[in-house]
Amino acid sequence: MNMSKVIFGFFVLLALTLNFGFFLGEIDNPDHHNVYELFAALVVGLIATIMKLGERSQMSAMLLASSLVVDLQLLAAVSVWVLSVHVFDIGLTPGVMASVVSLSGGALLANLLSVVLLTMETAGLSR
Amino acid sequence: MRRSTALLFFRRMRVPLIVLISAYSIATVGFTLMPGTDADGNPWRMSVFEAFYVVSYTGSTIGFGEVPYEFSKAQRLWTMVSIYLTVIAWLFSIGSIISLMQDPAFSQALRGARFRRAVRNYDQPFYLLCGFGDTGRLLARSLSELRHPVVVIDDAPEKIDALSVETHRFPIHGYCMDARLPENLISAGLQSRWCAGVLAATANDQVNLKVAVTARLINQRTAVYARADEKSVADNMRSFDTAHVVTPTDEFVRRLRLLLTRPHAYRLYQWLHSPPGSPIPALPDPPSGRWVLCGFGRFGRSVYRLLRELKIDVKVIEENIDLPGLPEGAIGGRGTQAETLREAGIEEAVGILATTRDDVDNLSIVITARELNDGLFSAVLANQWSSEPLFRAAEPDFLAQPGELIAGTIVSHIRSPLLSHLFRRLDEVEDAVAARILERIAPDPDQAETPEQPELFTVRLSKKRAPALHWLKEQGFGIDVSLFQRHPGRPGEKVPVEVLMLTRGDDDQLLPDAATRLESGDRLLVACPPALVRRMQSLLENEAAAYRALTGDELQQGWLLKKLVGERPARS
Repeated sequence: MNMSKVIFGFFVLLALTLNFGFFLGEIDNPDHHNVYELFAALVVGLIATIMKLGERSQMSAMLLASSLVVDLQLLAAVSVWVLSVHVFDIGLTPGVMASVVSLSGGALLANLLSVVLLTMETAGLSR
Repeated sequence: MRRSTALLFFRRMRVPLIVLISAYSIATVGFTLMPGTDADGNPWRMSVFEAFYVVSYTGSTIGFGEVPYEFSKAQRLWTMVSIYLTVIAWLFSIGSIISLMQDPAFSQALRGARFRRAVRNYDQPFYLLCGFGDTGRLLARSLSELRHPVVVIDDAPEKIDALSVETHRFPIHGYCMDARLPENLISAGLQSRWCAGVLAATANDQVNLKVAVTARLINQRTAVYARADEKSVADNMRSFDTAHVVTPTDEFVRRLRLLLTRPHAYRLYQWLHSPPGSPIPALPDPPSGRWVLCGFGRFGRSVYRLLRELKIDVKVIEENIDLPGLPEGAIGGRGTQAETLREAGIEEAVGILATTRDDVDNLSIVITARELNDGLFSAVLANQWSSEPLFRAAEPDFLAQPGELIAGTIVSHIRSPLLSHLFRRLDEVEDAVAARILERIAPDPDQAETPEQPELFTVRLSKKRAPALHWLKEQGFGIDVSLFQRHPGRPGEKVPVEVLMLTRGDDDQLLPDAATRLESGDRLLVACPPALVRRMQSLLENEAAAYRALTGDELQQGWLLKKLVGERPARS
């Protein structure tokens, strides 16, 4: 067993689960979506991106691309949140919440692809 | 394998970046959890956004103070934690970046990437030079003077480092790597369509051979010029179509032979086969009589053979008296002592040849010999290029430096492949022809200021090489040799451009008559002053310029003008 592979897989998977946790719930209900979960999803997503940097196989290029998509989507979600709550003082209206959650939903898809790719690569290795 | 510096950078920066992100996120989350109060004393906690704001300015040690409200004790406690956390994380990452920058492997990769990018971005013919010793340095400098970019590779890092502090007329890119590996030659641009020639000029015959073979196999279109010290290696190289192989001893003998038998041809040869900026040697006046040859190494042996062939009496002095092949009557000794030289009969001799492997010995031999016999003709070999100024100061009648011999010969071949043809032809005719040629391209060769070496062109009258002249012929104009001497801008004025040789089939004509008609397929060796190079090129490539030079009239160009004025009728 390779420890670095475990850590790598851990972060990729954690990014997905956190993202999923945040995404789960009614789309426009602020009570169903915790800010810490979004923050954690973003941080873990960033760490997963950095871990993928510097790999050179074809699969890892795809992994890196999906990770960059995750970061972009989550950063957009965070920006919407920060802008509406702290800058424009709109507050967490259902509309704002819905757009934050739907952005994170996009990230969820990319995260899912990451995990699938990783699983495929691992499966290919064991054969 | 392509090494990417970006990949290397990110792989090495992975841990520092993760540490940085982790420290920031821990500090941010911590701030949102610490209880505090707002301005009115109500319980208040930071949002993630505010917490990240505080961490951002404390982490970067800017420190705006406590915003938006004064901190509680708990928040101050966490501020301390986050300061140490983030500052240490920053120090760690910056330290990693700096140590990465200083890492020899990384800087090597960085330089390699820069080198490959420079080679890839060439958009004009360049030369790939392997080996940067005496010969390589001279070659690079000469090619740069001739406006060719040069790519240099050598496996000695200090030589490449020296390159980066020198200034050159045209860019010379150097990189430290082993020329024996084909992949290195490829990354130095061997496969590039702009690679005009590969020059194998290392001091090692086997390396040169390997480079020549590799270049021949990987890029058939490029010309290969190689140095070979051993005859067997030289023959091997010639066997697979190497454009030109230079053997220092052969070149030495060739020049010495010209000097002894054809003084004018020697003068022309020596001048045109020297690095740019070299002076025209004085007309030699070799005396007839007995010579003394010091040193019977590779050079000495070849010179001995030459002198015997020319039926010149020669006495050999050699340190190692047991050397096989040493002629009878050879004298043991180094030739630096007066007794040895006297024993060899220096007082009655007419010339001294110093060809030992030691430069100091060679100098000493010449000086001692001249003290014993004032009127001696001296020919000397300078093994190291660095000691050449010393030799020049001693003012020998003939001085040869292997690096200069090789570089000069290769460069002259690059300038014009027909040049060797010219000298082969000159060997067959009387020496006065060489004198006439020299007179044409350097009207006053003995003046104090060295005239600039002429630019040598090989002009082939074909559609591809000289489209303008081809077009003129198609229009029915007759072209003769004098066309090259006409100035297109000022009709009637002559320019100092000389056609040295006209090659038609197997027939060569030296200094063809001005009225000689030119035919398709003719090859011309043209010498023109460097200032007129552009004019020459426009004459060959620009129809309007060629037309103007020939007729003195303007050519109507362009579709509209042709429609309005009508095409000029062809004259025959």
